[in-house]
Amino acid sequence: MQRRDRTFFALMAAGAAALALLPLIGVDASFRHFLILAFIYAIVASNWDLTLGYGGILNFAHPAFFELGVYGYAIFASTLEVEPWLALLLAGGVAVIAALMIVLPVLRLRGIYVILVTFAFGQICLQIVLSQSQITGGSQGMVLLPGLQLGDWSFARDGRMGYYYATLLLLVLSTIYLRMVVRSSFGRSIQALRDNEYYAISRGISVSRQRILTMAASAVFTGMAGGMYAAYLRVASPEVFGLDFLIIVLSALLLGGTSTILGPVMAAILLAILSEWMMDLGAWRFLILSVLIVGVLRFYPGGLYALIEGLAKWAISGRAAVRRGARSPLK
Amino acid sequence: MSLDAIQSILSSAVVLGSLYAIMAAGLALTWTTLGIFNFAHGALMMIGAYFAWQIGADAGFGLGVAAGMAIGVAALVGLGVVFERLVIRPFLGSRQVVLITVITTLAAMIFIQNSALLTWGPRMKQMPPVLPQGISVMGISFSAAELLIVIAAPVTLIALWLFLTRTRLGTAVRAVAQNPEAAALMGLNVSRLYSLAFAVSAGLAGFSGILLGSMRFITPTMGVEPLIKALVVVIFGGLGSLGGTIGAAYIIGFLEATSIYFIGLYWTPALLFLVIIVVLVIRPQGLFGKE
Repeated sequence: MQRRDRTFFALMAAGAAALALLPLIGVDASFRHFLILAFIYAIVASNWDLTLGYGGILNFAHPAFFELGVYGYAIFASTLEVEPWLALLLAGGVAVIAALMIVLPVLRLRGIYVILVTFAFGQICLQIVLSQSQITGGSQGMVLLPGLQLGDWSFARDGRMGYYYATLLLLVLSTIYLRMVVRSSFGRSIQALRDNEYYAISRGISVSRQRILTMAASAVFTGMAGGMYAAYLRVASPEVFGLDFLIIVLSALLLGGTSTILGPVMAAILLAILSEWMMDLGAWRFLILSVLIVGVLRFYPGGLYALIEGLAKWAISGRAAVRRGARSPLK
Repeated sequence: MSLDAIQSILSSAVVLGSLYAIMAAGLALTWTTLGIFNFAHGALMMIGAYFAWQIGADAGFGLGVAAGMAIGVAALVGLGVVFERLVIRPFLGSRQVVLITVITTLAAMIFIQNSALLTWGPRMKQMPPVLPQGISVMGISFSAAELLIVIAAPVTLIALWLFLTRTRLGTAVRAVAQNPEAAALMGLNVSRLYSLAFAVSAGLAGFSGILLGSMRFITPTMGVEPLIKALVVVIFGGLGSLGGTIGAAYIIGFLEATSIYFIGLYWTPALLFLVIIVVLVIRPQGLFGKE
């Protein structure tokens, strides 16, 4: 294991341990609720990093994978009465199938057309969910979905403690998975395609194959996060398809720093705390968030991760590495 | 198939196509000149409709519909200049300009939507009618608002075409679109022409928003659905040329009207998406796009 990996896993383990101990020192249930949602957002944002950051694929269908995971869980667990734990896994499968469907027309496209088609895909999914109301409940959504339980112990008991640890575990597994994907030879090949496409192709890397695999790989945990979201809130409503969700996850990804995995995770948790703090502000919350996104992209495109990295280096070596984040371009 | 059916399909095809054509023309204009895709286009439409309502409607300043439309479009032209300066220009030199501006224009969309929500509240507004009643052309009846769209769209688009091809300023915009470096060497003020192109695009957005607002209700999120339709149009037609985009707008309008009539409102979006996928698999650059 290299030093970079050790730092990564040490950081992750410290963060996970702190979050695991947090309920024991007593935080109130509403804050725990926000953290559970934050863990789910963190999974979606960091997996999006695989396509948008590492893969350089301008994929805007990622929120749709999550939403299809939500509805996948709802239909399997509620309509088809599949065991909820199995439905959670199947939600991941639904998202992967969706990723494989959308990647095919995208394979021959470049630049803006990739964004347009993937973005349109999410909207079309919303239209289909709204129109097929006998299956999806239409604009009413699906309610009273079965939750998760072990034996007789429901995860919602003891102030949602089960869901807190289940989502945290899912987040940790997803983070380890992402790190392993990124550091594998497959992960290196997709970064090579992003940084120098023609050189990578000349070294025998297939663009189409890697694009298909990247999209599928980013959908697995995203879909399961959707299933977890549905199991936790016990509803599947078309609201998750809205642009509000997209902008929250996207801002977690960008404010955290692309191609860093831990950056989006930290930013998502920070944003959840921030948005609880700004809860009473209503529409002002989104005004602040949108100004923050444009401001960070303009003045500090490296994001939160580059800031922390810079501060750490500064603390160790005394050099002003903090300024580096202001220069590093969005990859 | 009865004559009534044909008339009904044709009339709604022409209305939809005209609306999409103005919207998509604005999107194509900023794409061809600045090389950015403006996701806030729908939000600009919405804010144009609110401006026109605020100035024109009795519940607002009550100055009449015509004044509302004129001032609304003018305000959007001004807003377009500010918008370009804040959200687009700082990122134009960047290597990832396409992705970054998608994100910044999405952020701007959220900003404009929530500003409208804070200013005018969530309740729907209704524009006063332009003409008292509808009219019948060759047995096809149009409401006043629909008639306005059907007439205004081609007039606006012809004016835009004349501006781009027959005036020095329009030629300069196209020159900057084709080759900004060469245009700058010829003494053209590139960044000012970018502002101009964006202002015209925002003006078109405002105008189409006002037209849409006089047909339907005005809400802070009224721009989202037309934006998606405009997306479909530009994917279908390719973003390369204005003419191709406008042609695609009318084709999509016709397809949508036909599909709504025969297979219903529910499956139409899925059908449109299927058509797009087929087009993309055969011609990735869009139906009229260049290689």
